Amino acid sequence: MATTASFIIVSRNDIPIYEAEVGSATKREDAAQLHQFVLHAALDIVQDLAWTTSAMFLKNIDRFNDLVVSVYVTAGHTRLMLLHDSRNDDGIKSFFQEVHELYIKVNFLQLGCSVHVLVFHLSIVEKN
Amino acid sequence: MEPDVSIETSCMIRIAVLPVGTVPASVLRDYFSMFLRHHTIPLAAISSFYTEHQKSPFAQQPWDAGSIRFKFLLGGAPPSPWEDFQSNRKILAVIGICHCPSTPDLDSAVEQFAAACKSYSSALVQRCFAFCPCDSQLEDGGKKEDVLRLFPPADHQTLDIHLQTMMQEIAASLLMDFEKWVLKAESAGTILKTPLDSQASLSSEEVLKAKKRRLGRAQKTIGDYCLLAGSPVDASAHYTTALELARLTGDFFWFAGALEGSVCALLMDRVSHIDAVLEDEVKYQYNNVILHYRKSFIQDNAQRVSPLSFELEATLKLARFLCSSYLCRRNLSKEVVELLTSAADGGKSLIDVNDRLVLFVEIARLFGTIGYQRKAAFFSRQVAQLYLQQDNKFAATSAMQVLAMTTKAYRVQSKASMPDPPHTKKQTGPSHTDSGKMHHHLVVSLFESQWSTLQMVVLREILLSAVRAGDPLAAWSAAARLLRQYYPLITPPGQNGLASALNNSAERLPSGTRSADPALPFVRLHSFPLHPSQMDIIKRSPTKEDWWAGSAPSGPFIYTPFSKGEPNDTSKQELVWIVGEPVQVLVELANPCGFDLRVDSIYLTVHSGSFDAFPISVDLPPNSSKVITLSGIPTSVGPITIPGCTVHCFGVITEHHFKDVDNLLLGAAQGLVLSDPFRCCGSAKLRNISVPSISVVPPLPLLVSHVLGGDGAIMLYEGEIRDIWVSLSNAGTAPVEQAHISLSGKNQDSIISIPYETLKSVLPLKPGAEVILPLTLKAWQLGPMDFEIGGGRAAASGSTGRQFKDASVPTLLIHYAGPSTDSGDVTSATGSTLPPGRRLVLPLQVCVLPGMSLIKARLLSMEIPAHIGKAHPKPMHEDDPTTETVEESERKMEKRLVKIDPYRGSWGLRFLELELSNPTDVVFEIGVSVQLDGTDDNNLSTNQDGSTEYGYPKTRIDRDYSARVLVPLEHFKLPVLDDSFFMRDFCNEGSTSSSRSSSFSEKNTKAELNASIKSLISRIKVRWQSGRNSSGELNIKDAVHTALQTSVMDVLLPDPLTFGFRLTRDNSSPQQGSDSKDSVLANDMTPMEVLVRNNTKEMIKMSLGISCRDVAGENCIEGEKSTVLWAGVLNGITMEVPPLQESKHTFSLYFLVPGEYTLVAAAVIEDANDVLRARAKTDSPDEPIYCRGPPFHVRVLGTA
Repeated sequence: MATTASFIIVSRNDIPIYEAEVGSATKREDAAQLHQFVLHAALDIVQDLAWTTSAMFLKNIDRFNDLVVSVYVTAGHTRLMLLHDSRNDDGIKSFFQEVHELYIKVNFLQLGCSVHVLVFHLSIVEKN
Repeated sequence: MEPDVSIETSCMIRIAVLPVGTVPASVLRDYFSMFLRHHTIPLAAISSFYTEHQKSPFAQQPWDAGSIRFKFLLGGAPPSPWEDFQSNRKILAVIGICHCPSTPDLDSAVEQFAAACKSYSSALVQRCFAFCPCDSQLEDGGKKEDVLRLFPPADHQTLDIHLQTMMQEIAASLLMDFEKWVLKAESAGTILKTPLDSQASLSSEEVLKAKKRRLGRAQKTIGDYCLLAGSPVDASAHYTTALELARLTGDFFWFAGALEGSVCALLMDRVSHIDAVLEDEVKYQYNNVILHYRKSFIQDNAQRVSPLSFELEATLKLARFLCSSYLCRRNLSKEVVELLTSAADGGKSLIDVNDRLVLFVEIARLFGTIGYQRKAAFFSRQVAQLYLQQDNKFAATSAMQVLAMTTKAYRVQSKASMPDPPHTKKQTGPSHTDSGKMHHHLVVSLFESQWSTLQMVVLREILLSAVRAGDPLAAWSAAARLLRQYYPLITPPGQNGLASALNNSAERLPSGTRSADPALPFVRLHSFPLHPSQMDIIKRSPTKEDWWAGSAPSGPFIYTPFSKGEPNDTSKQELVWIVGEPVQVLVELANPCGFDLRVDSIYLTVHSGSFDAFPISVDLPPNSSKVITLSGIPTSVGPITIPGCTVHCFGVITEHHFKDVDNLLLGAAQGLVLSDPFRCCGSAKLRNISVPSISVVPPLPLLVSHVLGGDGAIMLYEGEIRDIWVSLSNAGTAPVEQAHISLSGKNQDSIISIPYETLKSVLPLKPGAEVILPLTLKAWQLGPMDFEIGGGRAAASGSTGRQFKDASVPTLLIHYAGPSTDSGDVTSATGSTLPPGRRLVLPLQVCVLPGMSLIKARLLSMEIPAHIGKAHPKPMHEDDPTTETVEESERKMEKRLVKIDPYRGSWGLRFLELELSNPTDVVFEIGVSVQLDGTDDNNLSTNQDGSTEYGYPKTRIDRDYSARVLVPLEHFKLPVLDDSFFMRDFCNEGSTSSSRSSSFSEKNTKAELNASIKSLISRIKVRWQSGRNSSGELNIKDAVHTALQTSVMDVLLPDPLTFGFRLTRDNSSPQQGSDSKDSVLANDMTPMEVLVRNNTKEMIKMSLGISCRDVAGENCIEGEKSTVLWAGVLNGITMEVPPLQESKHTFSLYFLVPGEYTLVAAAVIEDANDVLRARAKTDSPDEPIYCRGPPFHVRVLGTA
């Protein structure tokens, strides 16, 4: 889907509950850190933006250099955030929808269970 | 790019403020802050300094409402290549600051100032301000009035007014210079160039183009000066012309500049009423500005110079403008974000790193303004990274400072920056409400932030920049935060690296440096140990004389190990500490990291200063926790709080608050914090302990006890009696004025004597004095459980420990107190409360070994029949006056226990048989003694208590053997059978019914029985001795009680009637030897008499009968085969015996056949009273009461 991407799920109290470096680009530690910094900073924008629209998918809300942040805000104000460098909006949107579905399922089966988390992780990696 | 740009920047006159001579930094800062107050000078105020030389080009100057604005640049700035393009970039004035006290030579100062001014060629006005000159300098300085301005010493306000005047003067001269410049420019025209203009040789076409453009540029510049002169309307007019000209010539760059100027003029003109329409206008115009700056981008010289920075500046200016409006209207935030994001995008193309730095700084500031803290932190970090790319110390310091600002957004801030500035903290000392709030904040932040990756990166960058900047304390603090908060995410080598970073930083710090951020170890409160039992404190109330009563705990345990670990108790109770007496607090340390941690010193923190804490040093191996005891001495009276510990570790002193760790553990329990440091060290979970309120009281006496002969356990056999001596000494500083001994715990009655008086007599016990109290101890009986534990002889010594755990030892409680009014000031401070008393708990460490044991006790009846003799039977009863005449030998005999009373007969002689066994490995000697009532036996040999003791020869029982001891019970008989006996027993029992009649209910009989058994048993004592110094008494009470339960009546009470037989015939018969004087011959008339004694206090009427039986038991008086003839009456003899008297009845027997005969007297009592009935245990009142005497043997000898 994307050459560089970082996916993170942020709970409603701003705690990251899931993070994954996805995409085909070679993974570098400092890059992964920068991705997290960008996503963390984008929360400020999501915070304001989420209340101005009824859409769940907020595309390209923030960018830094070539990295673009797209966010999917669930009804429970959990934020699925994707940092990517290509503008494949439809693909990202469907990715978000699938992840949301998975997230609800896993949530239902209690995220605390490590098996479910593993399944969740594998599914997300697969979707990329 | 320039920092801090806004739309209004275009109308500000730049003034360089330069220090001249030596000006101390703080003084310079003070002077500069004075300048800052005068950044706006109203035009109305400068009119007195203003003289219009020519007609002013600023025709529309608003003299009433307008103003001139200054922008002060401390230290000045290098000239900008863009000065021609934007006139506000020029430094138009230079002001020198001279601090006269540190610069005595004004001449050289003026020279120095003049030299400094040379680099500011654009400066129109130069002034040197000399502050605080002395008198000579005042005089001297007056001569150089053209440049030098002297500010005589004055108060701050006067100085301020003086400075204001000077600034107005500067404003006026600047205005006049602007007028001159504008007039000159309009007439002559000037060549205005920017770096954008091609430097290469111009072609003729380009020269022509440049000429055309010159006019527009001049108009723009004039507009700039109009703006600086505070005349926006004039500026606007010039800008409009410039815009037209620039558009015509395609000079987009200058067009954009003129447009910027016109927006500024617009804003200045309408500064008082900015509305939405104006906002939209500004927005529109500025977007236009940005667009035209972008248009002016020329590919040719893009490598060398680019208008990009102007585009970005314009973007920032617009963003800043929107930000200020944003404060009123929030919906502008999206536009601001858009602008800033595009500005950040543009930053990539900036050539100069410094420009990018300024850009990111500005972006971060603007994001901060609209409340996007995380965005601001992000760009601040970008700034810091740019700084870190420059390899110098100052850049690193800047990076560190910028990163320090981001710590709040990333929630890794240093404690020093958190609650309030540290200097105010030092002054006031943290109050408790403050720390409570802070902790709440901390907890919330714990729950909110989990971006551990970011947090670690930020802390690592702070550490890096601090190391580079050479700030060891900041480096230490960052490393400490990193290590303390993220140790689970750091590999052991990383942890080691941090530890060495801490140590390296500490080496550069002066010793004794404090840091607000604690590093390792984690410290939590473990418990407050209760006072050792030697030092218990008891509250005294002034109203209660015996304050110790009720203070003892109700349960059997005075001091149990359970109460130690009971934090609930600890939290509720108030701790009382005593001035001058060491106290202890247990804390637990944890080192969850992979290196050996050495805590150089750790001690309790008490802010009030009324506590001397003793530091200790601890070594913590990797991944370990340790409970340590911290002690100290309270030094003054009053409440004390212990918020935490002060730790000296990794070379820096830090304060560890217990609450922080509590919060951390709370977070860990909820899964919000990475790890529980104590749990990962294998320490057990501890319940939350709240710090109890501790109060310190004035010095109290302190008794210290020890048992003479060693404090080890005293080994005693069961029943052993021993004296021990307890020494009490006063180790406190106050005398003991009251003292009271009481007993507690199990087996209290094993302490036979307590020296109350000895203790009383030594009071008051001065500090250092000692008293020895003798105690007599009697070892108690071991229960069945104890037997199991200590039963084996071999295990006897090993079982001692277990016996102490049973808490079966008796405990001596000594309550004592010092003087009730200690010193006047203390009592007045604490009201009327007395200083508390203390309790010394002294468990007597006695180990009881199984000793002689009683296997069983039995009541034995024996029959040793008496022979009828001539002698008069001796009455038993000592109150009988005849006893007086009894021979000495008889008295001797009486002293022996086993004797047969010939008068009483031997029928029903009762013995108590005690079967004893010796399971020990020593030999015991048993002695039985019986105490007789002193009142009855007062004429016998008496003991010291007035009672007679009958001693037995000692019985020796070897190890593993058993023996039996017989105790005759005859001596317990009462002399008289009457109701007073019952009465007395009831009185002894404590019964209130003293007016008892002679009727007895069954219940009362039982009670009477028990009472009499008790008194009987208490008189029998079985003492033993083993070796030289072990002696004791066997507890036989229970066993004897059971043995005697059924037949105590018979043992205790005399029969109502006693019978005896006697030969009454003449003793002169020659055949009779003295030895056979009591024998009876067959075929001989034998006169006899029967003696009947009334043992009651009533006259008894009876019908007496005498029977005689032979050896076969046949009645030989009556019947067909009777072998005995008789004379006199033998049956149905009616007798009346007066109380306590005896009566005789004589008769004669004639035995036909020699042999053994038995004579028995019996009587039926007529008209028996209740006492007799009770004695005979009759069921119904109609039942006849039948009394039978003991059998008497008669041996009838043959005549042959």
